[in-house]
Amino acid sequence: MAARHLIIGGGTAGINAIRTIREEERERSEITLVSAERPYSRMVLPYFLDRSIAESHVYTATPRILAEWGVKSHVGRRATSLDPKGNVVTLDDGTKLEYDDCMIATGSSAVRAPVAGADGANVHSFWTLDEAKGVIAGIAPGSHVVMVGAGFISFTILNSILSLGAKLTIVEIAPRILPRMVDGPGAELVEKWLEKHGVTIRTGATVSAIEDVKGKPGTPARKRIKFARGAKGGDIIADVVIMATGIKTNLDWLKDSGLRIDRGIVVDSHLRSNAPNVYAAGDVAQGPDLIAGGTSIHAIEPTAQEHGRVVGANMAGKDVQYRGSVIINIVEVCHLDVASFGAWDDTTAEVISASRPDRPAYRKMLFRGDRMTGAIILGPSSDIWTTNDVGMLKGLVQTGQPLGQFKERLRQQPFDVKTAFIAAKTTARLLPETVVGRPSKAPGDTPVAV
Amino acid sequence: MKVLKITPEKCTGCLRCELACSYMQTGQYQPAKSVIRVSPFEGHTSYAPYTCTQCAEGWCMTACPVGAITINVAGAKDVRDDVCVGCKLCTIACPYGTAFYDPDTRKAFKCNLCGGDPACASACPTAAITYEDTATVDWIGDFAAHRAGRLLETV
Repeated sequence: MAARHLIIGGGTAGINAIRTIREEERERSEITLVSAERPYSRMVLPYFLDRSIAESHVYTATPRILAEWGVKSHVGRRATSLDPKGNVVTLDDGTKLEYDDCMIATGSSAVRAPVAGADGANVHSFWTLDEAKGVIAGIAPGSHVVMVGAGFISFTILNSILSLGAKLTIVEIAPRILPRMVDGPGAELVEKWLEKHGVTIRTGATVSAIEDVKGKPGTPARKRIKFARGAKGGDIIADVVIMATGIKTNLDWLKDSGLRIDRGIVVDSHLRSNAPNVYAAGDVAQGPDLIAGGTSIHAIEPTAQEHGRVVGANMAGKDVQYRGSVIINIVEVCHLDVASFGAWDDTTAEVISASRPDRPAYRKMLFRGDRMTGAIILGPSSDIWTTNDVGMLKGLVQTGQPLGQFKERLRQQPFDVKTAFIAAKTTARLLPETVVGRPSKAPGDTPVAV
Repeated sequence: MKVLKITPEKCTGCLRCELACSYMQTGQYQPAKSVIRVSPFEGHTSYAPYTCTQCAEGWCMTACPVGAITINVAGAKDVRDDVCVGCKLCTIACPYGTAFYDPDTRKAFKCNLCGGDPACASACPTAAITYEDTATVDWIGDFAAHRAGRLLETV
């Protein structure tokens, strides 16, 4: 009988796993997908928000593609329980699905800070496609948009909101913006840059309530944002409020499953949970961490993609060990690139940092001995040396290539990563590296008929 | 597969490759838009061009959330402009630093081997860049280590 693979979650990890199973398997297997939403890419929602792409562009696997891949799909359904002993998953409509092996990739959901009125009209999250549509419907040229939360998600949609002609205020509870993506000096530079571009930022401000402002009947309700005592400045009146106050992993449905769950589902180097035929991938997986060692949740697109491919290959019968994920993030705000890699917040590492007094450019490189373990880079996106060094910093962190005497070169010339990267022979180290043990196939090259 | 072979000892730093590349890729004679880049070594007394290796993993291609990077007839990873949304994920996923973003078009761009007739190799007057059927190796690592190391020792 054909192997029965069950994929729970149609996001990046799920779709990559399905493709990789079809690429790797020797005998045609049966693949079933359970997905609460139609498969789409969350990464591109900011471009849907600013209307530079159509809705059709966000979908990663249309019903036609899933049919071509021979996938039985349960789209619009959620898994409600897993029985790893009986190898059965139950869905919210009562359907029971048996499997030989299963991958859990149910991702994360947006969480709104516990503030009175946070669930009212014209208060949105920006996480799912439906939520994106809600935000789009609410923003018109001249609208005042207030984003609560100055983290990565807010910053990915900042350009889009401005390009729609809206006025933007960002409110953050922490004393500074981007607390989980860049350090203090980096955040300060971004903050100044945004203020120069007309964005109002209020940090150290705790929202206490979001209330309706009484207006003329028939006009859209405006919102009044009130702050806890101690916050500078008065109330803010907004047309649209976006709560970007964090995400949480979708794991509640697994609480009686017997799977080992710490911050996420704990998985080994093959991305298997304590139930050997149950894998986990993406935001819900606490998997190998390449830089810190041990296991971590790295809730980013590239980790979901790599996890999905490694699981897919293992499900198809290959023996692929995952080398571990690296945190990498980039956002562009008003033509300023902001990126960080690996253990950029390691307070015990040796640091080389530099800034340019005359332009918005900042770098920080962190080291253990002569290996780079983390980096932060800020610079104008029109500056070709920024984009060049962005990738090379990722390469140095990912490989941990010993820099030897060329670490000294980085100390002398922190704005030239290229010489040290090349001279440390990082290219030679990288060339044989692949994620699933073979050259990758192009997106359109997944075999459809085996 | 035919690849760009770099012989750094032959490079004179004339930048013809960058001009030819930027013209082929973007229609402008503008080294800032070239996806092959000539690096100076030893305080601008020697040079070497550096570009995409068309690596086996294709980090840019596997990272792209919309499948905009594909493999063209020359075997090169190639950005499809009509699919790319300009999210820059490829620029941080590529560990070689050879996936770029063009702020004018708001798209990613990278070496696509000009579809099989690379302009940089045709433009190079000293055969420092040739297009050959050979395995890709780290063409300039040893050269750079030697040149950059010598300068560090004298400081």
